[in-house]
Amino acid sequence: MKFSVLCVRGHGARLGRLSSVGHQGSKMLDTPMCMLYTRGGSAPYLGLDMLRKMENIPPVAHIALSHLSDHYEAVQAFQEGVAKFTALKDHLVFTSLHDPAVEVHSGFNEKSGIAIWGKGGKTKIDVDLFIKMQEALLPDWYQALSDGDTSKDTSRKRAGKSVQRTLTFLDQIVERHSQSERLKNSALFGVIEGGYSEKDREHSAKETSARPVSGFIIEGFHNMGPKSEQFRISDVSAIIQKTLNCLPEDKPRLMHGVWPPDQVLEAVELGIDIFDSSYPYLVTERGAALTFSHQYSMNSVSDSEIGHTGFEMDLKDKRYFDDLTPISAHCTCYTCHKKFTRAYINHLLNTSEILAGVLLMIHNFHHYFQFFKSIHSALEENKFEELKEAIQQQKTSVISKDT
Amino acid sequence: MAASRTHALTFKIIAECKTTKARVGKINLPHYHVDTPVFMPVGTQGTLKGLVPEQLVDLDCKIMLGNTYHLGHRPGPELLEKAGGLHKFMNWDRCLLTDSGGFQMVSLLKLAEIKEEGVKFQSPHDGSEMMLTPEKSIEIQNSIGADIMMQLDDVVHSSTTGTRVEEAMHRTIRWVDRCLAANKHPEKQCLFPIVQGGLDPDLRKKCAEELIRRDVDGYAIGGLSGGEEKSHFWRMVTLSTDILPKDKPRYLMGVGFALDLVVCVALGCDMFDCVFPTRTARFGTALVPGGQINLKNKMFAQDFRPIDENCNCSTCRDYTRAYLHTIVTNEAVASSLVTVHNVAYQLNLMTSMQKSIVDNRFPEFIQNFFEEMCPEGDFPEWAVEALKSVNVRLTE
Ligand SMILES: [Zn+2]
Ligand SMILES: [Zn+2]
Repeated sequence: MKFSVLCVRGHGARLGRLSSVGHQGSKMLDTPMCMLYTRGGSAPYLGLDMLRKMENIPPVAHIALSHLSDHYEAVQAFQEGVAKFTALKDHLVFTSLHDPAVEVHSGFNEKSGIAIWGKGGKTKIDVDLFIKMQEALLPDWYQALSDGDTSKDTSRKRAGKSVQRTLTFLDQIVERHSQSERLKNSALFGVIEGGYSEKDREHSAKETSARPVSGFIIEGFHNMGPKSEQFRISDVSAIIQKTLNCLPEDKPRLMHGVWPPDQVLEAVELGIDIFDSSYPYLVTERGAALTFSHQYSMNSVSDSEIGHTGFEMDLKDKRYFDDLTPISAHCTCYTCHKKFTRAYINHLLNTSEILAGVLLMIHNFHHYFQFFKSIHSALEENKFEELKEAIQQQKTSVISKDT
Repeated sequence: MAASRTHALTFKIIAECKTTKARVGKINLPHYHVDTPVFMPVGTQGTLKGLVPEQLVDLDCKIMLGNTYHLGHRPGPELLEKAGGLHKFMNWDRCLLTDSGGFQMVSLLKLAEIKEEGVKFQSPHDGSEMMLTPEKSIEIQNSIGADIMMQLDDVVHSSTTGTRVEEAMHRTIRWVDRCLAANKHPEKQCLFPIVQGGLDPDLRKKCAEELIRRDVDGYAIGGLSGGEEKSHFWRMVTLSTDILPKDKPRYLMGVGFALDLVVCVALGCDMFDCVFPTRTARFGTALVPGGQINLKNKMFAQDFRPIDENCNCSTCRDYTRAYLHTIVTNEAVASSLVTVHNVAYQLNLMTSMQKSIVDNRFPEFIQNFFEEMCPEGDFPEWAVEALKSVNVRLTE
């Protein structure tokens, strides 16, 4: 995997390009980018027949080991890797340890390995099992085994321990990776830990960059799951800044989490390149549709046109009961384009029909992926500030609605 | 007046089996046409188990069901009317059929009470007393706007015997006239009466003979999916199709298991519906030639074949049993994927029957089907008898 920064805007937002990625070798990916969130290798609610009806699906599918821990032996027997196993053979695959949309239970990691949680409960993964799984899954790139069980309340001592454990894992993985024929086309991402301790973060960053990794994952600020939507990157921007200063420029940086648009932009500005799309999934799960505008060049869509304020529209709300218009008249997604109405989705939510999830997931993915396109073009046109301003305005209205 | 009526439905017989009572036909309806024999998947609340209508079109499904009881409750007739009917509301531009709501009312609500006026029940909303009359059922079905509507019938469980069955049969006949009179859109929504009469041959006969005197476009055969003995079941079916006019479609309500479909097509039925193929998908059960498999079963963990190698559905094209095994009952998407396959299975079965009838080899089709379904040769006795009555002798 190769990565080059094409230009840096403002305080540190990077326009980058990933090339020679993974087994296919020929793909190029522009950053900042977001990956296709999957649950067990399928986009939530959406089979391949539906994905084919959608446009602009990210070329990288994000699969969490936690979803496949109970089934990796089947993938192993299949031999051709998880992309083909899950019918996502046209996608690149990145494997993370955890599903960012699911809270990780605290207190189960040990020196010898860490705990991941699948449908069948807890699986403890040591380096041996970890490598065995990756060799079965054949990801195009993968997150190294890491102890990210730290948050705001974690002691300095525990934060230091997470750094140490993660580095020890990394050394073992680097060695095993270099000997593995199966993993020779898979890129390894090192993981930066250290909780909220600046010293430990810097140490982790320096040590990890000294090892042969293709990129970095920064974690350990929260335990994932819906609550991490409340995580504010501004609370840790100083630590992240210091951490990134210790990392080489020419390698990509990934952060997991539930990322509302304003938070994405702040992270991009700090220099984060790769994101997941668990946010549109969780918005779907609460019966809402993303409706924030990410137009930055013209006057943004006025509130009166959308008919509400904030980043999303709560389609469970009674006011949409007989609203026979699509979620957004401007949206080109399958759901809006085919004229499924707010009233119909409201009905499907009221009757707990799966199709509500299908239609909302299509729209929310589309909206989020388009947002990333806007980030990209705003950076290219040097209009990132305008985009930030546009998003910020809508965020203010979220707050004023709540108070 | 009857002669000048514009028909919402026309039916043309394309081919008849020379051995059995099976026939292939084409029903033309306001929204689309339907090739019979047809299986109609059930989309109870204006949606079919996570599938967008385009996926059903991709499977070449031409007609589906909606349930009046559910739709009348949510989203309700006012909104459906405002939306321009269920077709527009759910984005389905092919044919729809609605039931009368009576069956669900009697089976879902404990306190339903049947009177001459209609079905009295307690609102599941606020407990208030409500009445579903034949007129009210048609009013709701008119708002839904399905191509084919069902009369409100007096439903009795198939195990009921005695005077209650007779009463229900007579009431069903009285109610069909009230339903026909209440239909506001006969030019775009046709209405099927329902042959009732329990398991009593005389009552069934009487009911059918009475109903065929009405000016209607097709007939339903009701009250025969309640777990009655199969030896009674097929006799009631064949007795009904003997009386019902040949030139009108016959809809056998609530029947949709593969084996039942094959036998009842041979007995002369044209239309079928059943919730089983779609409902069972949620639990990971996939329909295959020879029966069904549950993908949750460990034996599929490393089975890298599609559900059915000969199936042309998108699920079988893209997914293996092994992968589906990892997501069935865990992920919502699995339910849609298996539903796509199960609907494809049902529709493929119907098209194969149509083809074999046209090619005049339906008896061979039946023989092959049974050999695949019961490889041990243990053909169900009732099916053997039923088929014998239409000149097909299964050989073991
Ligand atoms: Zn949309
Ligand atoms: Zn199939």
